[in-house]
Amino acid sequence: MNKALKNPITYIAFIIPTLALYAVFFVYPVIVSFYYGFFQWDGITDKMFIGIDNFTRLWEDEVFRKALVNNFYFMAFSLIVNIPLVFLISIIISKVRRMRDFYKSSVFVPVVISTATVAILFGVLYNYDSGMINQFIRLVAPEAWAREWLSDPKLAMLSILIANAWQNIGFFIVLCLAAILNIPKEIVEASKIDGVNGWQETWAITLPLVRPVLFVMLLLTVSGTMKVLDIVQIMTNGGPFQSTEVMSTYMLKVGFRSMELGYGSAIGVAMFMIILVLTGLLQRITKREEVQY
Amino acid sequence: MTARLRNGQWWMHLFLLGYVVVLLFPLVWLFLSSFKTNREITANTWGLPTSFSFDNYIAAWETANIGKYALNSAYVTIAACVLTLLFAAMTSFAISRMKFKRSNKAVYQFILLGLIVPPGALFIPLYRLIQGIEVFGHPLYDTHWSLILVYCTYALPITVFIIYAFMLSIPNELEEAGIIDGLGASGLFFRVIVPISLPALVTVFILNFIGNWNEYILSQLFITSESLKTLPTGMATFNDGYRTNFASLSAAVIISIVPVLAIYVFLQRQIIEGMTAGSVKG
Repeated sequence: MNKALKNPITYIAFIIPTLALYAVFFVYPVIVSFYYGFFQWDGITDKMFIGIDNFTRLWEDEVFRKALVNNFYFMAFSLIVNIPLVFLISIIISKVRRMRDFYKSSVFVPVVISTATVAILFGVLYNYDSGMINQFIRLVAPEAWAREWLSDPKLAMLSILIANAWQNIGFFIVLCLAAILNIPKEIVEASKIDGVNGWQETWAITLPLVRPVLFVMLLLTVSGTMKVLDIVQIMTNGGPFQSTEVMSTYMLKVGFRSMELGYGSAIGVAMFMIILVLTGLLQRITKREEVQY
Repeated sequence: MTARLRNGQWWMHLFLLGYVVVLLFPLVWLFLSSFKTNREITANTWGLPTSFSFDNYIAAWETANIGKYALNSAYVTIAACVLTLLFAAMTSFAISRMKFKRSNKAVYQFILLGLIVPPGALFIPLYRLIQGIEVFGHPLYDTHWSLILVYCTYALPITVFIIYAFMLSIPNELEEAGIIDGLGASGLFFRVIVPISLPALVTVFILNFIGNWNEYILSQLFITSESLKTLPTGMATFNDGYRTNFASLSAAVIISIVPVLAIYVFLQRQIIEGMTAGSVKG
């Protein structure tokens, strides 16, 4: 009966293309990046085996440390500012009866624009003389409040974080909104009969029941902010004075500008390990509880 | 009680409308700026442009090569998406419907490993690899195929993950009917399973399309020829050269956004669904 589905030739023909691409462009680079990490190598002359020197060097490398701190700053900002904002807006959208689709489509607009374009757009908005932000400040406040948003080391990181939030929040709102609207009506109605009012409902019913989506958002935020690259590279490329350097911009500079391929690979490996540890911890903490309705 | 609630909703609408205006105003501002001269942008920041001239657009189109970049992006994106879809669907079919239990499980878990490692950590070895590969005596480096193959590879895990789950849920009766009609495995795949899986295939196609269309770093690493650049890379190059020419820059950004927004207006439901389908990809 099921002979057709036991045909080994078709089976192999169907999985080979995927496995071949996967082996060449994924498995091989993964292995090689660990391997390169143990060598000093400029890509031209012979590789020199130096053991774990590249990895010990990471500990002492001040730029790497600065980059790591900036990645954590990125993560902290996204967790403390973006996620509460996402919840607030999603809850309000879920409470209104009309125009829900309009709000949902509108908040999602920045998500479909490419990060490269968003970075260029904010470069224009942040410009000192004619950018929208400074012009707005000049409109409502003294001229002295205008700032060099991207070339002031104290402000550059914040400016990037705002651009990043502008682009990403909509995505999370749509995820969160879907989870809120998925809560069965009976639960909400039962609680109303028990005399629960609007904001009590949010605290006692909605928030606990959307925990799984909160977990997804945390996971996406942690891994996304640890590997963030495009927006930083185009807006500041780590400058001014490495105030916005993140691990991946530093990795590319070490690998392609200073041609230290071994050390660059070691940074890549470190980045991967950090993401693995953080997401693993997160999974431990939240234990992936399933919500039972 | 309903009346009271409805009356209480105005402030929520006010809040949401305020948020939407703040969120989208930069795009409106940029759109208006794209018709102004550089001096007008500074002097008349908030007003409408004095005349709606398309000079900036013509300048941006001619100097920035946007048409060429968009064509390149379209070619690379569509080729990679079609390839991903074909390979992922074939593999998902094999490991979800065919009777090779042990191998199915191993292949599936092996592919899911790809969800853990971010391609961002692999730029250096990937770059060396692409530089080293030659196909029929032609280097792969600085060709569109370098991007197509790599985009395809990194889209495979999530695509297989989604299509596999969908195919697993298809009831056995359908393919039994196909087998009685004399279909072989590949006949079942193309005539029965693929048509049924169409909703899942559309979803992942959109997910991958947006991802590839917007991809920037790999395209910047692999492509050096001006004429082969994709839109995000081309835009970034233009940005570096025209940092102070806001009029042209605004027009270029608007040109690159408009097609995306136009498609979004018509397919918003599918796009939102497709893009959020990837959110399992922690």
